[in-house]
Amino acid sequence: MIDLNLIIERFPAFLGGTDGAPILSTSDGLQLTLELLGLSLAFGLLLAVPMALMRVSRNKWVARPVWLYTYVFRGTPLLVQLFIIYYGLSQFDWVRDSWAWEYLREAYVCAILAFTLNTAAYTTEILAGQIRNTHYGEIEAAKAMGMGKWLMMRRIVIPSALRRALPAYSNEVVMMMQSTSIAGLVTLADLTGVARRVFSDTYMPFEPFLTVAGIYLVMTFALVWLFKKAEQRWLAYLAPRKH
Amino acid sequence: MKPLEHDLAVGAAADGNTKLNVIDLHKSYGSHEVLKGVSLTAHAGDVISIIGSSGSGKSTFLRCINMLEQPHSGTIAVTGETLKLVTDKRNGALKAEDPKQLARLRTKLAMVFQHFNLWAHMTVLENIIEAPIHVLGVPKDEAIARARKYLDKVGLKNVEDKYPSHMSGGQQQRVAIARALAMEPEVMLFDEPTSALDPELVGEVLRVMQDLAREGRTMVVVTHEMGFAREVSNHVIFLHQGRIEEQGHPKEVLTKPKSERLAQFLSGSLK
Repeated sequence: MIDLNLIIERFPAFLGGTDGAPILSTSDGLQLTLELLGLSLAFGLLLAVPMALMRVSRNKWVARPVWLYTYVFRGTPLLVQLFIIYYGLSQFDWVRDSWAWEYLREAYVCAILAFTLNTAAYTTEILAGQIRNTHYGEIEAAKAMGMGKWLMMRRIVIPSALRRALPAYSNEVVMMMQSTSIAGLVTLADLTGVARRVFSDTYMPFEPFLTVAGIYLVMTFALVWLFKKAEQRWLAYLAPRKH
Repeated sequence: MKPLEHDLAVGAAADGNTKLNVIDLHKSYGSHEVLKGVSLTAHAGDVISIIGSSGSGKSTFLRCINMLEQPHSGTIAVTGETLKLVTDKRNGALKAEDPKQLARLRTKLAMVFQHFNLWAHMTVLENIIEAPIHVLGVPKDEAIARARKYLDKVGLKNVEDKYPSHMSGGQQQRVAIARALAMEPEVMLFDEPTSALDPELVGEVLRVMQDLAREGRTMVVVTHEMGFAREVSNHVIFLHQGRIEEQGHPKEVLTKPKSERLAQFLSGSLK
């Protein structure tokens, strides 16, 4: 039978304790998962907007490198990317001798780097698709009003594409949230990492993993709800008329 | 009826009163030449209708005026300033030498499109204040005041916060006209502004355009509405296969066509 007492007793550990904290983070469990997710999504989106613009460029020397980047990062498993960054980079002396090593030796930084590069690749393709889908007439109207290329991108194309990307991007965010569960494989104590520790402490697998499954599920509901609200706000123009 | 001399001036040499002067415009798609030397001169207050069957090149001509299409030769001058054109290596057509000059001249040539082309993610008010604020540098409160003035002029009330997709075609086109007016342009270009509208919505847009013409705005209108061409414009250009087949005062051109093609065209459209 399920040991309810174990779940209740260990539950605070899942929400975030302070043991075994890596340098930049002071937390474990849920807090670490949210940090990994939030930071990698934020950095990923910041990278994705300029890369999406490059991806749709008519200049192939601008577009091709981004194409290659998204092809590689969408074509390989995130876990492999994480292992390459965390275990692989240390093989090279020049990496260990560089200023970056201070950061790259930390699993926390490697996880955020891997997650950022991965989500940036997917987000770039989502955004590039929506930029290409921009109604041609709206671009003509912007030109006819005397807008230059960058003003048009900044004021018309990107705001419009970001809005239309919301539904696809919400999927990406939920997928990314669940992908953070592999952070435990590089020593981090995210939600799943905490569950594995509880399991190895108690030899009871069902209770800790059931607990994290429940927490992930609640987070998914919360994210889906948030994006629904965001779509109501920013995609109102696509909704049926209210009156 | 306006004096005939005025009509003769259209298409003649430019003077200080000239808002738009387009000379000998040529445009090809591949080996097919769609414009074979079309010229147009608009003085302040002129309302010029361009008519012709589909494929005659009338929309292409209008779109060349603000470089939404690239002509292959010809000159374009807005309020006496000639647009500097150079050959575009990509396709052999002409492009603006200085994008900044093109952008500046475009602000003087507001365009109203067949399919409205409002920015879908912006409300009506945001659509109208966008370019005045970010292109012309008008302060926001002034741009909003302008927007309200022109919404009132096109006869729209309580629509500021609506999205274009939640309005009828006629309302959207009137918003598009208000958006063009908010640029306070020298010349307004209309590209078949009523062709995408349901028949019962055409009237509301034509009435707005008629009011603008009466105010003395300079307008170039590509249209299928012969009633508008006859009653509102002071000059009609009939395009056929990329050439001006006939032009002049609407009372002359539309009632006593000299060319057989125009007679044919009119007998087909005036029912």
